[in-house]
Amino acid sequence: MKNTEYIQIAALNQYAYCSHRCWRMFCAGEFTDNQYTIEGTALHDRVHTTGDIDKEDTWQIRAIYLKSEKYKLIGKSDLIEVVSGEYYPIEYKRGRKGEWDNDELQVCAQALCLEEMTGQNINIGYIYYAHSHQRQLVEINQELRDSAIATIAAVTNLLETGTMPPPSYSKRCKGCSLYSQCLPKAFDKLRNYQEAN
Amino acid sequence: MGTVYVTQEDAYIGKVDESLNIKADKKTVLDVPLIKVDGLVIMGRANISPAAISELISRKIPITYLNVNGKYLASIEPDMGKNIFVRNAQWKAAGESAQAVHLTQGFVRGKLKNYRQSLLLAQRRYDLDLNSGITQLSNAIASLEQAKSINSLRGYEGAGSAAYFGCFNQLIRVDNFSFSTRNRRPPTDTVNSLLSLGYSLLRHDIQGALNMVGFDPYLGYLHTERYGRPSLALDLMEEFRPLIVDAVVLAAINRRMLAPKDFITEPVSGAVSLTKEGLHLFLRLYQEKKLSKFKHPVMQKQYTYQESFEIQGRFLAKYLLGEIDKYPPLVMK
Ligand code: SF4
Repeated sequence: MKNTEYIQIAALNQYAYCSHRCWRMFCAGEFTDNQYTIEGTALHDRVHTTGDIDKEDTWQIRAIYLKSEKYKLIGKSDLIEVVSGEYYPIEYKRGRKGEWDNDELQVCAQALCLEEMTGQNINIGYIYYAHSHQRQLVEINQELRDSAIATIAAVTNLLETGTMPPPSYSKRCKGCSLYSQCLPKAFDKLRNYQEAN
Repeated sequence: MGTVYVTQEDAYIGKVDESLNIKADKKTVLDVPLIKVDGLVIMGRANISPAAISELISRKIPITYLNVNGKYLASIEPDMGKNIFVRNAQWKAAGESAQAVHLTQGFVRGKLKNYRQSLLLAQRRYDLDLNSGITQLSNAIASLEQAKSINSLRGYEGAGSAAYFGCFNQLIRVDNFSFSTRNRRPPTDTVNSLLSLGYSLLRHDIQGALNMVGFDPYLGYLHTERYGRPSLALDLMEEFRPLIVDAVVLAAINRRMLAPKDFITEPVSGAVSLTKEGLHLFLRLYQEKKLSKFKHPVMQKQYTYQESFEIQGRFLAKYLLGEIDKYPPLVMK
């Protein structure tokens, strides 16, 4: 199967968090709302309602489609700001700065789309953490770009082949909304299991 | 809360705010928050409003129609089966594949081991002699390992079940009920009518769990395709039969919660079924059993039986997808 489909930017984020979770969501079509995703969605609803407004010399554009032909990426931005003609993406997240750096990857993927769409170089982006009302700067440097491009390739491969990466239990499983579908401990539990005779 | 059973003939099931509201004779008989509902079973002729149907479906809550005797008629299943990988693996294993043989062996082994366990417990508890049945079950269980074909597994399943039901009358500890042999369609004695009703309820629950995991409940391994038969649900049901249904039936009888006056016999056909009061009591007992907790032997954690339906379904999917190398039926100590 040749990849003619675009991959969603959100899938990159999920893949970086857990490849098995990405498979469940984007290959197997499973999605369960838990408290986090519901809050996340509600937050996005708010961010996405306002359209574009001018704030002094900053031009804010909300909720527009992002696309890259080169990387076959598609997604929606929370917010794009243009200051003195320079574009940068801002991604909204519930809660505090996460333990995982997958949010930076998402910002970088948005920047790759924006570069293609505007023809400009994008060197920075932000993550806005709703809990602390803080913006965190994301430097779109070569290292982050490389890791985003590698993740795009991995996700493309995952979607093309549909091959399931096995679940593996880690700290990340704790907050995962797919825990009860995935049962990440089952493999190990079963290895130590002796059926009653 | 779990499953809501509506047994009132002309009840009206509607949606009021965030609740399922059930009225009979213009009076509300039940008002339960939708968040607490995970299944709706309509027995008989109750009406349901379009708003309630669409709300239930959007919340992925299945609606099942049974006739007044508990016979399955139809269901409205929310679309949850996007998991094409699970279905693909399920279909690929169809027939006499090594996976199908392994799974069939697991379902049968689970059932027969649980049968034997309940005989062992009853033997100790009531000081009975059930040794010949227990030995026959042990022989059937031992033979399963050697069996190479699904048909021979079916043979041992039949032999084991016959041995168990040969002892079943001795598990009944009151003198106003008795059991001689399993009969159905329609059941013509009280004990068989309870067993049939219980299996029908269980099948509804297992089918819901399989649908949630992404399976096609109509393609099974031990039970093979026959028009309109949810074979995979029947397969997965095997290991649960003694643990849930037989246990509830025996408890209802032995604890004298049901008496012969709670049953009616149809003229000519001889079909036996519960009275309305009897049915309510039985549904409540079944529901309580489903929500009771036990320590899952593989997961080593407390789960309700209801949750364990899905866990076994997940194991099934994991085995078929090659994530685990054996299917562990739920075998209780
Ligand atoms: S429970 Fe753990 S292994 Fe399973 S999908 Fe979630 S993060 Fe991945």
